[in-house]
Amino acid sequence: MIADAATAERIGLDWLHAALAPVGAFGRRHDEGRAPYGPGDEARAQAEIAQVVALAARLDPEGVARVRGALRAVPEPGPVLARTRAGDALSDVDFYELGRFVDALDALARAWDGALRPGPDDEPQRPPAVDGLRNVLAAGREGGAFYLADAFGPGLRAARAALAGAEAEYEARREAIAARVRDATGVDAVGDEFVVLREVYDGPLPRGAYVVRETPTYRTAVIRVLDPERDAALDRLAVEEEAARRVLAERVARESDAVAAATRALGALDHTLARVAFAQRWPGCVATLAADRIAFTEATFPPLAEALATRGRRYTALSLDLRGVAVLTGPNMGGKSAALAAAGFLCACASLGVPPPARTASLHLLARIDWIGGEAPEDRARLLSSYAAEVVRARETLAAASRHALVLVDEFARTTGPRDGRALLIAFVEALRERGAFALIATHFDGVAQTAGVPHLQIAGLRADALDAVRASDLDAALDAINAAMDYRIVEAAAGEAGSDALALARLLGLDPRVVERARALSERA
Amino acid sequence: MPRSSTSTSASEALFALAFAHAPSAIVVGTAKNVGKTTVFNALRAVALRRGIALAVTSIGRDGEAADALDGEAKPRVRLTPGTLVALAAGLVPRTPALAILGSGAESALGATVFARVVLPTTCEIAGPPTAAAMRATIARLRGLGGGPVLVDGAIDRIAALAGGDDAVIVATGAASGATIARVAAVAAETVARLTIPGRDPRAERARVVYVAGALDAADAELLLADARGATVVIEDPTRIAVRGALFAALRDAVDLRCERPLRVVACTTSPVGRERALAPRALVEAVARATGLPAFDVVADLAA
Repeated sequence: MIADAATAERIGLDWLHAALAPVGAFGRRHDEGRAPYGPGDEARAQAEIAQVVALAARLDPEGVARVRGALRAVPEPGPVLARTRAGDALSDVDFYELGRFVDALDALARAWDGALRPGPDDEPQRPPAVDGLRNVLAAGREGGAFYLADAFGPGLRAARAALAGAEAEYEARREAIAARVRDATGVDAVGDEFVVLREVYDGPLPRGAYVVRETPTYRTAVIRVLDPERDAALDRLAVEEEAARRVLAERVARESDAVAAATRALGALDHTLARVAFAQRWPGCVATLAADRIAFTEATFPPLAEALATRGRRYTALSLDLRGVAVLTGPNMGGKSAALAAAGFLCACASLGVPPPARTASLHLLARIDWIGGEAPEDRARLLSSYAAEVVRARETLAAASRHALVLVDEFARTTGPRDGRALLIAFVEALRERGAFALIATHFDGVAQTAGVPHLQIAGLRADALDAVRASDLDAALDAINAAMDYRIVEAAAGEAGSDALALARLLGLDPRVVERARALSERA
Repeated sequence: MPRSSTSTSASEALFALAFAHAPSAIVVGTAKNVGKTTVFNALRAVALRRGIALAVTSIGRDGEAADALDGEAKPRVRLTPGTLVALAAGLVPRTPALAILGSGAESALGATVFARVVLPTTCEIAGPPTAAAMRATIARLRGLGGGPVLVDGAIDRIAALAGGDDAVIVATGAASGATIARVAAVAAETVARLTIPGRDPRAERARVVYVAGALDAADAELLLADARGATVVIEDPTRIAVRGALFAALRDAVDLRCERPLRVVACTTSPVGRERALAPRALVEAVARATGLPAFDVVADLAA
């Protein structure tokens, strides 16, 4: 589904993408390789939405957060596996990291089991496990650690025993030299190093102690133990350990396909759980995906609902039934723009396999969504006026319009002369209708729907005289009063002018009453 | 029989000072090649003798066979079985194998790896590169081992001391000055910087100036011009980036305080430099006098 930057911002698509962001690299990789559902993908989209709705019901919301936390903590085994497949030698840190991957999947499975509520017989698929890799590493794993245990190589135990013996012999010989130094000089070596003050001892040093620096007042010396047997034992152990690592790496390589499959499953799970978390926060429905309508009841536009909630205000759910093109009129602050955005948002949800946040929804899988109205940052960068920007977007929208497009028009041509603006809007609506596009056209111009021959919807608007008696002390109080007085429902419009309730709102928003009264008089005279 | 100069007594005394009141100690140097790693090894030897499971790491890259700059031999870090160590993944010895217990912050040499030594091994140690990562590393070592943690510090990464409750040991030596007097003066300035006292609201002057971030030469000149007599508060002593006469002038002109003081417990001396050697006894005594802290030469077994 194509939506340019301005459209994505207006319909909350950016917000939706952020809300659906995977928590881990597997999920990000999964999402990078997926395109949104488009026309023809209805069955797959509906299946995914149904799966998300079912999981949202089966999983405890706090449990979902814990599962996602466990997903975030799964380390990436890819680089180690790639090196294994390329025949590189692996290190013990690599084996440890693979063990961490195994443990992280176990933790994920535990979190999943803890999140699952009792339900019908068909249990949702559990997160992936990598039992083969677990078995390969098992001999070296204890309490999350990894050690290249003796069991990994037939010669390891003997080689280690030989080195331990040689080290003990080395230490004994070193200690014997240190004791001779102590006896001769009275000095204990720190590590292998010691200093002898000439005023304390200035004679020859014992065998095995070598002077590395001399001054008139002291000598610095080191203890050196030549121990070819220890060196040989170390070399033999190195050979055995490298052989064990090589064999272990080959066994790991044989598990790489299973691990790769597990990481793909993790990506899909991350993708799905992002949608489940969204659906639990913004409950939705299994939408019907139809070709002929964009309709929903009691829908929420979450970006607005969230913004209102932070200000202590309540969002009013919307219902809409759009078949083709319709004009939407109504008062200022009545929610026309929000209705447009909600329509786009719900269609975007369907395209992304997300249950649309509505009680019921019948949506069309779109190829593109276009928003026309107001300036976008790129318009300002192109030095276009508001009107010019709208016309350019209208031109581009018409060029791409089809029955798989949704065009959302928010007060097109409001910044030009009303007569020409209205005429242009009517012609534009007709052109959209001819192309078979879905379109919702919000406007204050009168008679657009009737002239263009499309349905006319309107926001029910302010309850009669609801605001006249209200005296708001400040802007917040005014907004509360407007919210309480406004009927945000979308209904079929009555014949006549497109009301705006502009003067009542201006008064409540604090404009000088004399100005408002003068405007009312002028309006009534006209 | 010559007069005894057993090195264990100086090392033992230094160990007792380092871990008497802190679960971790960091050895920092006033310059390169002032015997930090030697002190580090001496403290480890004490732990070994006492049967204490010491965990070790390093702020810089230490334990390499030869100095990276001049190629001269450097003390190696020989780790005994049971030792817990945090080091960069790229430095984990392949033989004999270590038990890998965990991994953490990334550095240029790979992730920081937490490991336990199974068979004796000699290796380089390089810990994490940032102060925050070092603090996390020390905490994790303490969590894994439960014993004290010893950190081999670095001259140019003193910021890693910030925010910790470690005991700080300042290593100095002939590499930091041509004469005993110069070495002692450098040590005294380092200690003076690291021991900026904490805030005391009862003793603050009428004017209090807070310096966020590093206090550099430009800040110092501004304070000398505009804030003489004031209490100047910095976050912690590692934020002081001024040296020499400018630092001395600042310290004399203002009441310099910090939010999080450090606990410097001792100095150590190394009389041996690349180009010169100083008298061990005179050096350790001069450093103790100049810094007002106990001073030790763990190799020559001297204390003052």
